[in-house]
Amino acid sequence: MPIEPVLTKGFGSLDLTDLAVYRSVGGFAALTKALREMTPDGVVAEVMASNLRGRGGAGFPTGKKWSFLPKDGRPRYLVCNSDEAEAGTFKDRMLLENSPFNLIEGLVISAYAVNAKRVFIYIRGEFLAGYRIFQKALAQAYDAGLVGADILGSGYSVEIVPHRGAGAYICGEETAQLNSLEGKRGEPRLKPPFPANAGLYGMPTVVNNVETLMYVPHIIERGAKWFASIGAEKSPGPKVISVSGHVMRPGNYEVPLGIPMRELVMELAGGLRPGRRVKAIQPGGGSSAAIFEEDLDVACDFDSLAAKGTMLGSGAVTVMDDTACMVRCALTINRFFETESCGQCTPCREGGQWVHRMVARLEAGEGSESDLKILTTINRTITGTNLCVLGDSIMPFLSSVYKHFPEEFHDHVRLAGCPLHARSESAA
Amino acid sequence: MSPEKAVREVSVTIDGNTFAVPEGTLVVEAAKHLGTQIPVYCYHPKLEPAGLCRICLVEIEKMPKLQIACATRVADGMVVHTSSAKVAEARRGVLEFLLLNHPLDCPVCDKGGECELQDFTMSYGPGESRLTEPKLHKPKLVDLGPTIVLDEERCILCRRCTRFDDEIAQERTLIVEDRGFKSLISTRNGGAYASYFSGNTTEICPVGALTSKAYRFRSRPWDLNHTDSVCTQCSVGCNYRVDTRFGRVMRTFTRENPAVDDGWICDRGRYTFNYLYAPERLRAPSIKRDGGRVDVTFAEAAVLAGSKLAEAAARGRVGVIGGGRLSDEEAYALQRFAREVLGTNNIDYRTHAQVYASPSRFGARLTDIDDASVILAFGAVTPELAPILDLRIRRAVARGHAKFVYMGPYRPAFTIETRYVKLQRGTLPKELDDLGDAVRRGAGQPGGSDVATIASDIAAAKKIVAIHSGEDAPSADAIERLVETLQQSGRDAGILVVGATGNARGAEAAGCVPNLGPGYAPVSGEPGMTTDQMLAAAADGRLDALFVIGANPALTFPDGALARRALKRVPFLAVADQVMTETASYAHIVFAAASFAEKRGHTTNLEGIRQAFAAAVESPLEVRTDAQIIGALTLATRRGSIGDDPTTLFAELNAAESAPRAKTGGGALARPVVTGASAPIAVPDGALTVIPIPHLYAGGGAAAHDPGTKPMRPEPYAVFSPSDARRLSLDEGARVKLSGASGSIEVSARIAQQVPDGSVLVLAEMPEAPHNLLLDASGGGWANVEVIAGAAEAAG
Repeated sequence: MPIEPVLTKGFGSLDLTDLAVYRSVGGFAALTKALREMTPDGVVAEVMASNLRGRGGAGFPTGKKWSFLPKDGRPRYLVCNSDEAEAGTFKDRMLLENSPFNLIEGLVISAYAVNAKRVFIYIRGEFLAGYRIFQKALAQAYDAGLVGADILGSGYSVEIVPHRGAGAYICGEETAQLNSLEGKRGEPRLKPPFPANAGLYGMPTVVNNVETLMYVPHIIERGAKWFASIGAEKSPGPKVISVSGHVMRPGNYEVPLGIPMRELVMELAGGLRPGRRVKAIQPGGGSSAAIFEEDLDVACDFDSLAAKGTMLGSGAVTVMDDTACMVRCALTINRFFETESCGQCTPCREGGQWVHRMVARLEAGEGSESDLKILTTINRTITGTNLCVLGDSIMPFLSSVYKHFPEEFHDHVRLAGCPLHARSESAA
Repeated sequence: MSPEKAVREVSVTIDGNTFAVPEGTLVVEAAKHLGTQIPVYCYHPKLEPAGLCRICLVEIEKMPKLQIACATRVADGMVVHTSSAKVAEARRGVLEFLLLNHPLDCPVCDKGGECELQDFTMSYGPGESRLTEPKLHKPKLVDLGPTIVLDEERCILCRRCTRFDDEIAQERTLIVEDRGFKSLISTRNGGAYASYFSGNTTEICPVGALTSKAYRFRSRPWDLNHTDSVCTQCSVGCNYRVDTRFGRVMRTFTRENPAVDDGWICDRGRYTFNYLYAPERLRAPSIKRDGGRVDVTFAEAAVLAGSKLAEAAARGRVGVIGGGRLSDEEAYALQRFAREVLGTNNIDYRTHAQVYASPSRFGARLTDIDDASVILAFGAVTPELAPILDLRIRRAVARGHAKFVYMGPYRPAFTIETRYVKLQRGTLPKELDDLGDAVRRGAGQPGGSDVATIASDIAAAKKIVAIHSGEDAPSADAIERLVETLQQSGRDAGILVVGATGNARGAEAAGCVPNLGPGYAPVSGEPGMTTDQMLAAAADGRLDALFVIGANPALTFPDGALARRALKRVPFLAVADQVMTETASYAHIVFAAASFAEKRGHTTNLEGIRQAFAAAVESPLEVRTDAQIIGALTLATRRGSIGDDPTTLFAELNAAESAPRAKTGGGALARPVVTGASAPIAVPDGALTVIPIPHLYAGGGAAAHDPGTKPMRPEPYAVFSPSDARRLSLDEGARVKLSGASGSIEVSARIAQQVPDGSVLVLAEMPEAPHNLLLDASGGGWANVEVIAGAAEAAG
């Protein structure tokens, strides 16, 4: 059930990094409407009515998040999280590079809604091209009076400050991002207090994902009803999903939430290589537990995937076919989380490192049954025991594939090596 | 202190016991009410909760996940389980993780026996190891600075040390470097961790990662005997414990007293005990004979000195200097010795520029700093003179409710935001009277004159604490007038005077001043001579004998030339001290005095709190306590009897003090008489005005000979303003000769913006280069500067 693209409309055919082009397809009409016809509370109400849920991973209702800000007269900040680094996710990068004005429009409308006078956009350090494109677009927007003082004569003023990260995955966690913006070590904060109360520089702060904020102008322009009519009932709207791995056409697909995994993988992404079958899919980035061939009919939305014990996350679908060694796949994931742990919490710092060493040993054919025994129980002391959710990301994929393919793990011990690679080598 | 706000109580159930605690109490603290220990590593009651180590996870009903007890606050009706199966599993897990790469070198670890990793592993850890892989390795023997060695492998990354340095000391030198399991404790830009408070990190480190160089590999904790004591290195009087083994002091350890030290001690206090075992420690009395010194028995020294003092006393030509480093009991005995035995009021504890130690009214408490809105410091460089008091100021300012104002001749390096007012010599009284006028008028606005700006700070202030160096009598009066004005305007205000010596206030209260006896009671008869009068008299040949006890006026008295002339010329000089000071080197008889660790008694801190300390070790055979020296001298004079038992002396002191106190007009305590009022200094053309600056590790006594603090002790230096340095063609590090009216010293040059043009800051109390050779009796002076060697030459 393909839909008319919303964020990705014109991608590949129009140069939306040109302000005139963006305007020619209706750009900044929503901003004009919001500033001239709506109150900030009106914007919040509209977004709340659309039931837009955060596209960064947690799926928290955006309008509700905005409504949490205390009305106590303190300065407020809007932070746009563009530190996209979840394994398998590459949607924000594409959006940033191809449609910076949609983002700027979303930033200004959202800042107006929450009454922020200053917006920080935290751009992943590796996104140098996106950063440059954004900067150039921002300069044009300032020149055109769409950002800065007295926007469109409304009396509302807002400054947008781009900030480049320095390569830490953990800075995608909102409180680590706030620390990093403040010039501190990028490490998650103890909560409470939550950012809505004490965020950037201790002030009320909203942190939203790039994609989330880009839907805001469209909701303002076309109405909450339009948005809510797309996709699943409790997870409405379109979503850009990054499909990667063993598919014929990997890439970003803007689909209605709730699209069946089978349709996304087998039709939109072109299916698997001839003769191959789905072995495992990570539906929500490196942090998510795997689903398997029998789960292909699951709907891709926040709640349906949660019911399967996994998550939609940031919308990163990684497909592994039957040539993939699950131990090696887990090794890749566990190496990532070992490297990216900030090191504050013991279970994440030490446990992540221990798990990685055990999986590396298994993969190299040097593992033992006692390692496997530890891997079945260590989940309980690593998961749910840390300050932030990075620690909770260490075990889901490993646990899910071990549970589903236990023999593959035991074979690595028994055969002192990978049975799949042994087979493929002998076949060759 | 302002009255506590009423705190709501909430009900909590922990392990089946329901009780009430104040709202907002942390679960870990609430559990202590039951005597239930929840294990913690990163949590420390003096630090903000961090929630890092995860050992304190507990089960709270209606919460899906385990919660950290160190950061979760009790809510009404909360039901907590601290020892359920889930909790036990989580604790086992955390301990298993912590032990993964821990070296388990407990047999050679200083912390073994008082290590929380050992203790909790025993109580909650897994019984057997599931670890099969080789340990990961990290740097060992990391030299963090002059005091601390770090073992990164033992470190469990609880970050108590970095958080202490950030939140308490607010110096932010200690940092975490790298990420994840590669995280290391390190220093900012790789510099040295040279904080005055560094030793505290070795105590709060829950494992053996941070060890002090002074104590490493010297003892096992279970072999130590503990003695409650009080630090006497400065006038704050921090409580600590002296840990000994085989009759030898091994280390000192904090002993929290919230009203005094808040649980911390500074490194000068912590490490200044190693001189006890240094070769320079005096172990027997000695007499001058044939141009050298000869050791004698204590009895022989006492008989000789006693008769000489008695002879001089009979002629009425004797004086006693000291008391500020004795115990309260000994200070009391000393003034009895002067008055009853030697028959003179010539006694004075004041051997520094300080002229008084007790505010005669409006005394503040140390804890008043905690909730002060404005802290006004006058010439008292608290980071150097009273570091633990300075921590209180840092905290009050960091919490955002206190403004800190410093008035003095130069701007010291404070760690906190400071409103600095430059004072010309002798102008403080007028500034303060102007300030009082502005407060009375309700005048003052930010951005105006200094006085107007401070007046506007005070306008919004409920509580003001004034901190004085005690160095100038007219200033003392002006401070009291200002505080009176503040109180009349409905504000809470008080005064703290930082003592130049550890027990300056105790000596003053015990009567070691020419005009006052114990309890500030005026003496009968004529007041005696002050220290400067005694020194002048001795220099002029008008005194036949001086007894100097626990004091080194040659180095500390403002007019160094006068002090030296007096000490060299006086026909008989007896000195009691722990090490061979310059003053002792002039003495005909030197007594070897016991240290704080070798005697018991009381000491009075700057706020007036009298605290007891106990003897931790025995002194060497021919060493005596000051009380014993005074008692033996009394016997030798055959002019009376003064016991040397601290208990009896303490009872006598208390009885003497409970007599009606001397009050002046406004109900104030009498102050010690002051002589030698400051005269304007005429600085010759081309010379610079000398401003002495204190340093925590300066001093000519124990500090000069202590191996523990030697690495931190600076070389003598003087600091010039950039423009004076240019004019004099000085480079940083150059060797310069400073010549004043009556002497010269050689120091190395430093250059800093904070130095006013036309002045030079000279490090005070360095025996290698005595600053007081450049000063007169009022503490003023000047110096001509001569470059001896350029920076490159001096370094070569």
